[in-house]
Amino acid sequence: MSETKPAPKTVADGNTVHGVVAEFSDVDSLLAACERVRDAGYTKADAFTPFPVHGIDKALGIKPTVLPWIALTAGAIGTCTALTMQIWMNGIDYQYIISGKPYISLPAFIPVSFELTILFASFGTFFGMWALNGLPRFSNPMFTSPRFDRATDDTFFLFLDAKDKRFDEAGAKVLLGDLGGEFVEPVVEDDSPKKIPSFLLIGLALVIAFSMIPALLVARMRVTKSSSPRFHVFPDMDFSPAKDAQQISTLFADGRAMRPDVPGTVNRGELDWDVDFQTGIDMEKLAQIDAPRARQLVAMMQSDTEIGEGDGEVAGEESPAEEAVEEVTEEPQTEEPAAEEPMADEPATEEPAADEPAAEEPAADEPEAEMQEEPESVKEESASEEPTAEETATEEPASEEPAAEAPAEEMAAEEAPAEETPAETAPEEAATPAEAEPPTEKPAAPASLAPASGPTVDTTPWLTENPLTVDAEVLARGQQQFNIYCSVCHGMNGRGNGLVNQRAQQILATTWTPPSSLHDQTLYQDAYPDGKLFSTISNGVRKMPGYAAQIRAKDRWAIVSYVRALQASQNATLDDVPASQRKALQAKQAEVQAELEKAAAKAAADAQQSAT
Amino acid sequence: MSLAVPNGLDNSVERPGTRAPLVLGESSYHSITEAVCKIAENPPSKLWVISFLVAVHLATMLGLCIAYLFYTGVGVWGNRNPVFWGWPIVNFVFWVGIGHAGTLISAILYLFRQEWRTSINRTAEAMTIFAVVCAGTFPGIHVGRAWLAFWLAPYPSLNLWMWPQFRSPLLWDVFAVSTYATVSLLFWYMGMVPDLATFRDRSKHPVRRAVYGVLSLGWSGSSRHWMRYEKAYALLAAFAAPLVLSVHTIVSFDFAVSQVPGWHTTIFPPYFVAGAIFSGFAMVITLMVPARSIFNIEKLITIRHLENMCKIILTTGMIVGLAYGTEFFIAWYGQVTEEKFAFINRAMGPYWWAYWTMITCNVISPNIFWWKKARTTPWIMFVVSIFVNIGMWFERFVITVTSLSRDYLPSAWAYFEPTWVDWAMLIGSFGLFFTLFLLFCRLMPIINMAETKATLAKELHMAHKDAH
Repeated sequence: MSETKPAPKTVADGNTVHGVVAEFSDVDSLLAACERVRDAGYTKADAFTPFPVHGIDKALGIKPTVLPWIALTAGAIGTCTALTMQIWMNGIDYQYIISGKPYISLPAFIPVSFELTILFASFGTFFGMWALNGLPRFSNPMFTSPRFDRATDDTFFLFLDAKDKRFDEAGAKVLLGDLGGEFVEPVVEDDSPKKIPSFLLIGLALVIAFSMIPALLVARMRVTKSSSPRFHVFPDMDFSPAKDAQQISTLFADGRAMRPDVPGTVNRGELDWDVDFQTGIDMEKLAQIDAPRARQLVAMMQSDTEIGEGDGEVAGEESPAEEAVEEVTEEPQTEEPAAEEPMADEPATEEPAADEPAAEEPAADEPEAEMQEEPESVKEESASEEPTAEETATEEPASEEPAAEAPAEEMAAEEAPAEETPAETAPEEAATPAEAEPPTEKPAAPASLAPASGPTVDTTPWLTENPLTVDAEVLARGQQQFNIYCSVCHGMNGRGNGLVNQRAQQILATTWTPPSSLHDQTLYQDAYPDGKLFSTISNGVRKMPGYAAQIRAKDRWAIVSYVRALQASQNATLDDVPASQRKALQAKQAEVQAELEKAAAKAAADAQQSAT
Repeated sequence: MSLAVPNGLDNSVERPGTRAPLVLGESSYHSITEAVCKIAENPPSKLWVISFLVAVHLATMLGLCIAYLFYTGVGVWGNRNPVFWGWPIVNFVFWVGIGHAGTLISAILYLFRQEWRTSINRTAEAMTIFAVVCAGTFPGIHVGRAWLAFWLAPYPSLNLWMWPQFRSPLLWDVFAVSTYATVSLLFWYMGMVPDLATFRDRSKHPVRRAVYGVLSLGWSGSSRHWMRYEKAYALLAAFAAPLVLSVHTIVSFDFAVSQVPGWHTTIFPPYFVAGAIFSGFAMVITLMVPARSIFNIEKLITIRHLENMCKIILTTGMIVGLAYGTEFFIAWYGQVTEEKFAFINRAMGPYWWAYWTMITCNVISPNIFWWKKARTTPWIMFVVSIFVNIGMWFERFVITVTSLSRDYLPSAWAYFEPTWVDWAMLIGSFGLFFTLFLLFCRLMPIINMAETKATLAKELHMAHKDAH
C-alpha cells in the first residue's frame, strides 16, 4: 500500500504530481473507462462527476461505506441518552406527582426518545458522511486546473492517483488516452502559498481575545462581592409597582392600593350569617334596647359589600385619603365632596344596582333606608374621629368634646366598645356613629378609637356564654392561637409581660401602654362577659389593634375560652382538677418543689463559698 | 450530449409502454446548469425587487410587533379568558403543517423512488425550513417572557432547581419541532452542497467564489464521495420520513391529550398529518406556479409535476374531509354531551362562518381536481391552492378557538376577538416567509441540479436503448 511504500512521484516544473486526469463527455464512455482501469489493476482511481453515476461503484471497485453503522450507533446513543435523561430527571431527581402515575412512565417517554434517536442518528449520518469524505477540505490539487470547474457542470473526469502502486505518469497518460479520455493532463500541486495570511491569523487572535472579555467579566463577578444591587437584564416583575394594603396607589383613580370587594360578592370564607357569633352581642336583646343599631348590624352582616363599601369610603378611605390630599393632587376632588354631599348620594345611587340581587330578602329594604341616613351621620363621626384618633395617640386633648373624654377614655377604653351607650343618651346621629363601630371587624376602621361620648355604663347585651362548645380541642386551638397572637404582649401566662412588653420596658419606650394582665378581676367573666372579650379581641382596645383580620371568628372564640381557662387556672384548687389527674399533678408538684429546694440549696452553698 | 423532447409535448398524458419524460425541451447537463444558475446569476428582475421589498416590510412589521409584544406583554393579543391559545398557536400549527410537505416530498417520495420529486424537492425543502422558522417564532413568543424560553430545555438550572416535565405533550412538542427543524436543515443543506459547488465553480467574483466555496465544503464530485453522500441522503430520508409523521402527531397531542371537548379525540394524529401534507402541497403549488414562469423553468418543473401534486392535494383533501365527518360521527356515537355540543357548536355556533369557510376551502374546492383540465391548468391550481391555504388556516382556528371559547362551563364562555397585533403578526409571518424564500431564490440553487441531471442521464440512457 501507499503507506508502506513511498508513492512514486514525478517532479514537473518543481511541483509534485498527484496523478493524471482525463475528461469524458458522457456517462457510458466514463463507465467503460472505469472498468478498464479497474481491470488494469488500479485501486486508487477515482471519477469526478456532476451527479451520482449509477454503477460506478462497481466499475471502480469502490467498497461499501460503514456509514449505516455510524448512524445506527448514533441512533442507539440517542435512545439511551433520552431514556437516561428522562428517567433520571423525572423518575429520580425531580419527581412530579401527576394523577398518581408512576414516576418512570415509559410510554410517556417514547416521544422524546424517538425524537432524540432521530436527531442523533441524523447528526451521525450528516457529520459521519463529511468526516468519511474528508470534507471540508481547504485545498485540493484537483482544483488547480480551470477545466476541472466543469466537473460540477457537465463533464466527467477520471483520475489516476500517483499513490497507486501501478502508477507511472507516462503509462497512465497513455492508458487514459487509449480509453477515449480527452485533455489528459497531470494534476500538479497547488502552488498558491500554503500559509494562512498573517492578517487573518492576527484578526482571528483578536476576535478570540475580545470574545473572552465577557466571559472573564462574568467569571470575575462570580467570585467578587458587590454592594450594588443585582444587574437585571430583564427586570420581569422585580420592580413592579406593587403596593402594600392601605398605601396610596397612583394606579387606580380612587388612590387606594387595596381594591375594595367586588359588589355583590362575598369573600372566600366570609359567608357567615350568624351575627351573634361575629359580634359577640346578643342581637335579640339588642333589638329590644336599640332597634336601629341591631338592624344595622344585621344589614351589615347580610349585605356586607354595600355597607362595606360605604364603610370603606368613610372609615377606610378617609384616613389614606386625608394623607393623600397632601401628596396626590388629584385626590382632593374626590376627597372633599366625598365627605360632604356625594357621600350621601353615592350609596343611594349605587344601591339599586348592588342591591338588586339581594332584593328577595325582605330585610334588604330596611338597611337601604338606613343606609341613606347613615352616611350623613357616619360622616360626622368620621370627621370627629380623625382628631380623636390622633389625640389618643398623642394624649393631647384638643378637640371639642374629647377634653372631658380623654380621662374617661383611659378607663373606659378598657371596656372598649362601650360607645354603645350613646344609643340611649344621645339622639340618633350620635348613636349611629357608634353603631357603625362593632361591625368594623375590618382592621381598616379604627372604630374602637371612637369616643364614647357619654356615661361609661355598658348596656350592650354581650353574649355571656361562649357560643362554641368548649372541649379540649377548642382549648388546644385557643391556646395555640393565643400563643401565636396574644402571648407576645400579654405573655404566655397572660400576666401582661410578654416579650414585646419586656422590650418596651427595657428601652423605656415612652409611648408604650403596658398590656393588661388578663388576671385582673375586671376582666373576669362576671365583669367582662365573653362577648365583650371577643369584641375586644376583634376590634382592639387602647393600643391593642383588632385581630379580626388575622384570626377567624371561630378561633377568636377559642381564644376567649382559653383566656377563661387561664384565669381559672390562677384561682383553682386541687378539687378543680379531675380526680384521675390529681396524682400526676401532685407528683409533678413534688418534683418541682424538690427542684426548687435543690436550686435554693445550691444557691446558698454558692453564696457561702463566695463568702469564704 | 443532449436529449430533445418536443417542447410542446404534454408529459401529463400517459403513453402505454413509455415513461413520461420529466425534463422537456432540448436539454443537456449543461442546459440544466445554465437554467438554474442563471436565476441566481442574472441581476434581479423588477418583479423580484418589488416583491422582496414588500416582503421585507411585512417581516419588519412582524419584528416590530414582537418588540411591542415584549415591551408590553401578551395582553396585546386577543388571548383572553377562556381562549388563551389564540392566533399565535393557530399560526404555529398552520406553519408547522406547511413545513411538512417539504420533507415529505424529499424523504417519502425519495424512498418510494418517485423521480418527479427531483425538480421540486429543493424548493419544497426550503419552504419547510422557512415555514418552521415562522412556526417556531410563535410558541417562542407565546411563552410570555420569551427571554426565559430557554427554560424549556432540560438543563441543570441553578435558578429553578428543577427539571422539565417529560410527561407533558408541550415538552414533547419542544423536542419534536426542534428536532424537525434541525434534521430538515441538515437534509436541505446536505442536498444543496453539490449544487453549491456548481455555483462556486461558475462564480467569477472572488468573494462570491469564496462564500460558495466555504458553503460547498470543498465538494469535488468524487465518486467515493458521491457513494457515501447518496447513502447518507438515503439514511436521512429514512429518518426524516417517520420524523415528519411524528412531528405533527406530537403537535396534535398538544390538543388531544387535554380534556377539552373537541380536542380530546384519538383521530387527531392521522387527521393532523393528512392536513399538514394537504396544506404543505398547496403551499408548494402556490410557490411553484408563479416561480416556474418567472424564472423560466417550465421545462424542469413540468405540468406533470404539478399534476402529481394536484393528485396528492385531492387525495389528502378527501382524507381531511373524511376526518371532519368522522369527528362528527364519533361525537354522536360516543354520546358525551359536551362532545356532541362541541361539534354542533362548531358548525352552528358563533363561529359557523369559520367552520363553513374551512369546509368550503378544504373539502369542496379540491374536488375540481377530479377533472384533468383543472389538474393541468396552472392558474386553476394556483387559485385552488390559495383556497386550501386559507381553509387550512381556518381549520386550525376552528379547532383551537371554538373548542376553548365554549368548553364545559357555560358561565366561562366567551367570544374570541383578535387584536390588530394578531392580524399584523399573521401577515408579518407571511412577510418573513416570503423574505426568506425570495432570498433563497436569488442566492441558492432552487432546483436540485445534480438529481435532475441524474434523471436526465437515465432518460438519455433509455433513449439510447430505444434507438438500438
